[in-house]
Amino acid sequence: MRLVRDLGRRKLRSGLTITGIAVGIMALVVFGSMANKMNALIGGGSKYYANKAVVSVGSMYSGNIQPLSLSDVKRVEGVEGVGAAMPTLDMMLSDTGGATMGTPEMITADIPGGDKGYETFKIDLAQGRTLATADADSKVTVLGSDLARKLNANVGDTVTLRDEPFKVVGIYAPTLTAPDKDAYVPLAAAQELFVKSLPPLIQANINPSVIATGIVVYPKAGVDPEVLKTRLEAMLGKDYTVMTGKDFDAMLGSFSAIFSMVLTGIAMLSLLVGGLSTINTMAMSVAERTREIGIKRAIGASRWRIRREIVLESAMIGLIAGLIGLGIGAAMTMLFNDLGRASGNVLFDLTLGTALTAIGFSTGLGAVAGFVPAWGASRLDPVTALRYE
Amino acid sequence: MALLEGRNLRKTYRLSRRNTVEALKGVEVSIEAGEMVAIMGPSGSGKSTLMHILGLLHAPDPNHGPAPELLLGGENVASLSDNARTKIRARRMGFVFQDFNLVPTLTAAENVMLACEYAGIKGKQAKVAAVEALGLVGLADRADHKPSELSGGEQQRVAIARALVNKPEIILADEPTGNLDSDRSAEVLALFRQFNREQGQTIVLVTHDSEVGDACDRVIRMRDGRIRDQGHRAVDQLAAGEAVA
Ligand SMILES: Nc1ncnc2c1ncn2[C@@H]1O[C@H](COP(=O)(O)OP(=O)(O)OP(=O)(O)O)[C@@H](O)[C@H]1O
Ligand SMILES: [Mg+2]
Repeated sequence: MRLVRDLGRRKLRSGLTITGIAVGIMALVVFGSMANKMNALIGGGSKYYANKAVVSVGSMYSGNIQPLSLSDVKRVEGVEGVGAAMPTLDMMLSDTGGATMGTPEMITADIPGGDKGYETFKIDLAQGRTLATADADSKVTVLGSDLARKLNANVGDTVTLRDEPFKVVGIYAPTLTAPDKDAYVPLAAAQELFVKSLPPLIQANINPSVIATGIVVYPKAGVDPEVLKTRLEAMLGKDYTVMTGKDFDAMLGSFSAIFSMVLTGIAMLSLLVGGLSTINTMAMSVAERTREIGIKRAIGASRWRIRREIVLESAMIGLIAGLIGLGIGAAMTMLFNDLGRASGNVLFDLTLGTALTAIGFSTGLGAVAGFVPAWGASRLDPVTALRYE
Repeated sequence: MALLEGRNLRKTYRLSRRNTVEALKGVEVSIEAGEMVAIMGPSGSGKSTLMHILGLLHAPDPNHGPAPELLLGGENVASLSDNARTKIRARRMGFVFQDFNLVPTLTAAENVMLACEYAGIKGKQAKVAAVEALGLVGLADRADHKPSELSGGEQQRVAIARALVNKPEIILADEPTGNLDSDRSAEVLALFRQFNREQGQTIVLVTHDSEVGDACDRVIRMRDGRIRDQGHRAVDQLAAGEAVA
């Protein structure tokens, strides 16, 4: 408590230093939470793509996905090493989805049971049940948690997806990743919605029941997805894209790296500004207390004790600044998340790890910045210090 | 055997390459246990310098002329490391200075407790000792006051309590009454006198005030970096001192 009192003695200067560090820590908390969310999204995708290969026409991430047909599924099933091939159909929930940040809201469809038990990526349910084989021809849906909240839907309610009524049979628990914004429907229902979204001229020439946007290919046990990918590509030709977990990681790994770089940049900047400011504050406080240090040394305080006193005080500045920065940062992420939740945009994920890192970082920063003036103080000659004006 | 004995104590301050001040020019001094000694002399004669050496705040110059000796209880402490000297100051000595004796952010009791802490006594034990020491200087009721809430004389008494709290072998005071008016000065002097008489506390004080000098057992007079007169203990005072010891 003596420490806090010593800080209180130089309110303005300590206050400015604390504010400086707190701003840096706040930025760290906010951007860190954003990075957590991004990494969770990427991690979720990475888990989904693990141990499978996804076939599509065109490139999935150029946004230019063309439908393929169910005959492709038959061809894929014939490839050696394929355990199951399941057609999927993904489409935007609304055509005006461009206004959303993060991942868009999607309608996602497959054939319930079509994975033949190969799928290992399972999402926990909050309410109701998952889609079952018997649902194949009905208009039912399981909603991701964000979408359910946005539509204010519970199991048993009827929601409107692309102007068609769907009965909600289940709601997934939050994953904090892309599936939270998805509506899962049986393939047949999605095919119908898909065709309806096309221009009338094309509609007439299309048989809805053969449309898919992708094929999820599950390798048989022991078959390397990469080997399977080579075979699929050889068979399908270059109009098709085959994506594996490795491809996904390679593609989004760089994204994640950029985010980490931005975060490190902010951390470095706050380290520099906060650190220098703390050194300055502590150096001035040591100069002001020269005579006090002289007295303490004279009556028997060791050099080590003087150093410890100053480093602790400096660390305390860092700790207080860290707590304030964390508090404001946490309040900001919560506020933004609350504002965004209505539109389904939860952008921040403040984890315990991020909070502890921020606090530890600022406390450590304070302590390290204190070393410089502490060293000087401990080398003072007690008699000279006592005489200091 | 004397409690504190110095021989060949020299100190030269180097102001620049050419310009040096010989503050002590080879001093021999001896302080007996239980003595209350004043060091007097004109300004700049080396009183404070001598006190800093006796109090292990500075080491005597080691290398021109005969080797310096400083014996504390028979042990040569002239060339100990900073850490060893710090430890002796903390455990075996007490200090009072002219001004800025107390840490301004700490209460009287906390200031006294600092000395306990440095001597390795902590917590409740230190608190009890501090309150007791403050009681001895008549400030028990001011234990929780900050220095800024105390008069100069009271602050000086807190400093004396801090110097006493570890029951040190010797108390060194550099012009402890230098900033006080004659009434406060007399109070502080009376306290020193009392601890010396009642507890046999060895005290060395530097002073300009001849009244303070008169109240001591012995006055060491300095001039120009040398001791001019070691002074003599009055026989009755010696007897009184030894009767207590
Ligand atoms: N740190 C120092 N650097 C340079 N010279 C010093 C230093 N300390 C003391 N001196 C010089 O050494 C001499 C003795 O100083 P000292 O402080 O011991 O005198 P003093 O007898 O205590 O005087 P006063 O009664 O004024 O306190 C003086 O000439 C002083 O200027
Ligand atoms: Mg002096």
